Amino acid sequence: MLLNFMSESSQIYASKTGISKLAIMALAIVFTAGLFVVGFDQGHIFSLVYGDQAFEDLYIHELTHDMRHASGFPCH
Amino acid sequence: MKTVHFIIIVLISGAIAGTIHGTVNFVIVEPYLDQAIEIENRNLFASGDEKDTPEFWVEYEGYRVWQKSGQILAGAILGTSLGALFGIVFALARSSLPGNNNIKKAIVLAGIMWFAMYLIPFFKYPANPPTVGDAETVVLRAILYLSFIAISGFSVVGFYKLSKRFQNNKKFVALLGYGIFISLVFFVMPDNPDEITAPMNLVNEFRLMSVLGVTSFWASIGVILGFFWNRFDTHTETTPSYN
Repeated sequence: MLLNFMSESSQIYASKTGISKLAIMALAIVFTAGLFVVGFDQGHIFSLVYGDQAFEDLYIHELTHDMRHASGFPCH
Repeated sequence: MKTVHFIIIVLISGAIAGTIHGTVNFVIVEPYLDQAIEIENRNLFASGDEKDTPEFWVEYEGYRVWQKSGQILAGAILGTSLGALFGIVFALARSSLPGNNNIKKAIVLAGIMWFAMYLIPFFKYPANPPTVGDAETVVLRAILYLSFIAISGFSVVGFYKLSKRFQNNKKFVALLGYGIFISLVFFVMPDNPDEITAPMNLVNEFRLMSVLGVTSFWASIGVILGFFWNRFDTHTETTPSYN
């Protein structure tokens, strides 16, 4: 149903600014979340499940560690 | 183009370009990361914070494998993220971009975003390998880096909008305005507070590889999204525009 709504009612014609707000919102969320995961997470995301232990384990930080350095984000 | 198609091609373009970025990094940046971490380990042994024992190396190998294997996955995530931003900007700016097809337009935009959101901030806050950063300053450095990227990116948009008020020399006004403004910001914003203690040849070679890696992303995203846009967008014009 959601896909039908998106396909039928929200067409994108790049006239002036002919882009649906729904698409902008969805992509803005993806942008923000992805940037945080790769560039800035220090255990924050997993702390929602594992509590303070996540700040010790730093699983996402370590997983993204090499890309973090290589793409210019500040690291420890 | 249907919204669902738009979102899908933007996300796929970003993920592919990000995977290319991660793969390039895996080949050209990883050797420098290994060298830097080796220095970091030697410093830990010298300071007495760690001991050079078999247990240390078992633990070290464990997390280095985890870090290295994350290079490509993190590339795909970062690529999807930056690709989402690129998709938004491309959809909004496409009719104003020069070029007679979407690939050319997307490459031009990718070049502008690479310049304003990566290269210029890089000159102020260049990438550093492990062993350079101080954990105590990581939040400050993150704020400075993000702020500079945001200021640079938004000022490009601002000076582009401003230049439209001029009849002639629009490009010149936008470029000159951006150049003066970002130069001021460059000198006003504080430097990276961390002292570099690693060998400068290692740091400089790492930075060069870092630039090549990020450049591979922006080059890829322009070509890939432009290609997909041409395939899926059958309704819009692709006439040249230089507004």
